[in-house]
Amino acid sequence: MTYIENIYACLAAPLLVAILCMRREGRRSLLFVLAGMTTCLLSAYVSTFVTGIAGVDRATASFEITPVVEELMKLLPMAFFLLIFEPEREITIGGTMMVSVGFATFENVCFLSSYGSSDLLRLLVRGFGTGAMHVVCGVVVAMGLYFLWNQTWLRTVGVFALLCFVITFHAIFNILVSQSGFVFWIGSAIPLTVVLFYLIFLAPRVASAR
Amino acid sequence: MIESFENTFQIVVLLICTNIAVFRAWKYKSRTWTLLSFFYGCFLLGDIYWLLYLVFMGQTPQISVVSDLSWYAAIVFLYFLIRHISPPEQVKSRSLLAWLSPGFAFVMALYYMQRGEIVSNLIYAGLMGLLLHASLSRLTDKGQTAPIRMVAGAVLTLCLLEYALWTASCIWEGDSPLNPYIWIDFLLSISFLLLIPATQKAVET
Repeated sequence: MTYIENIYACLAAPLLVAILCMRREGRRSLLFVLAGMTTCLLSAYVSTFVTGIAGVDRATASFEITPVVEELMKLLPMAFFLLIFEPEREITIGGTMMVSVGFATFENVCFLSSYGSSDLLRLLVRGFGTGAMHVVCGVVVAMGLYFLWNQTWLRTVGVFALLCFVITFHAIFNILVSQSGFVFWIGSAIPLTVVLFYLIFLAPRVASAR
Repeated sequence: MIESFENTFQIVVLLICTNIAVFRAWKYKSRTWTLLSFFYGCFLLGDIYWLLYLVFMGQTPQISVVSDLSWYAAIVFLYFLIRHISPPEQVKSRSLLAWLSPGFAFVMALYYMQRGEIVSNLIYAGLMGLLLHASLSRLTDKGQTAPIRMVAGAVLTLCLLEYALWTASCIWEGDSPLNPYIWIDFLLSISFLLLIPATQKAVET
């Protein structure tokens, strides 16, 4: 059995100390990472609860419940930050990325403590695959928040639509990486391919649009 | 077996449509094509999820929230597309048919609720009602240009085929090639292609 609360306490402690000591951008970034880790912890509780209520097995939960819960929970810290502080675009996108990084990091640490750390190749694939997947999902929603719509109601409906989009993307990723062999490799490569596609084709255009 | 084939066919068609829309969005930096590519992309992701689940788990999704979410998103993006190419303040139509369409969506939802879930059918009714109203009001508005009415016609065709598909799934069951559901789904897949030339015309004007 893995006590994820204990792991969380152990990882959050140095971050909390650093948050107290740092100022401005550094403090904000670490706060987002911590928020991401906290969200991951809470997602695990909510997913387990919903799985129990729905009465489905672990695989079904991983394909149908976890993506919905995780993506919704991941949006909450950013939604709170946006509503309270009304930040600039750059800060929103960077913050969402940091929340996603915190989320993926905590999830990977829990994975390590549950399944061991002997197979480096598999861990690398897991690290890059899951990490890239969470970042891609977070950034898609963040970009929708600021780049696509001007009116508040359009932005709300648009973010709902983008959230639906990333939930499905996440669920497809979960189905593929739960398989073995060729399918696992394809599934792990998809998020990283999306990141590379963004960096090569879209990032220069986004930069020129600012 | 035939369900997997029909899903695969739809995925191939949507993949072609998505690639065309993404390429044009990238080439022309056009918001219209971006919205269309989001519509195709969301529909495609929902279909891929459904097919993968069917292949790897040997059954259709038990809770089916994920695919539905993706299809909701597709409807939202299609609605945004129609609003974008023809903003509501420019629509002068007072067509009774357009105003009755949300009622039609709600009545159909009541029928589907007898066999399916309540919440998802209500969400579909709301979204499809909006889309039907948007497409019918533009189609019946004489002040709209021909390309905009073409897009509205393509959207209406998609909506009506979707309703025919849902109704067929309530009446006929089974994996037989004689099941109308299969043929309507093939028609729906082909009708996705209609939006590409219609949108092209709308962008050009």
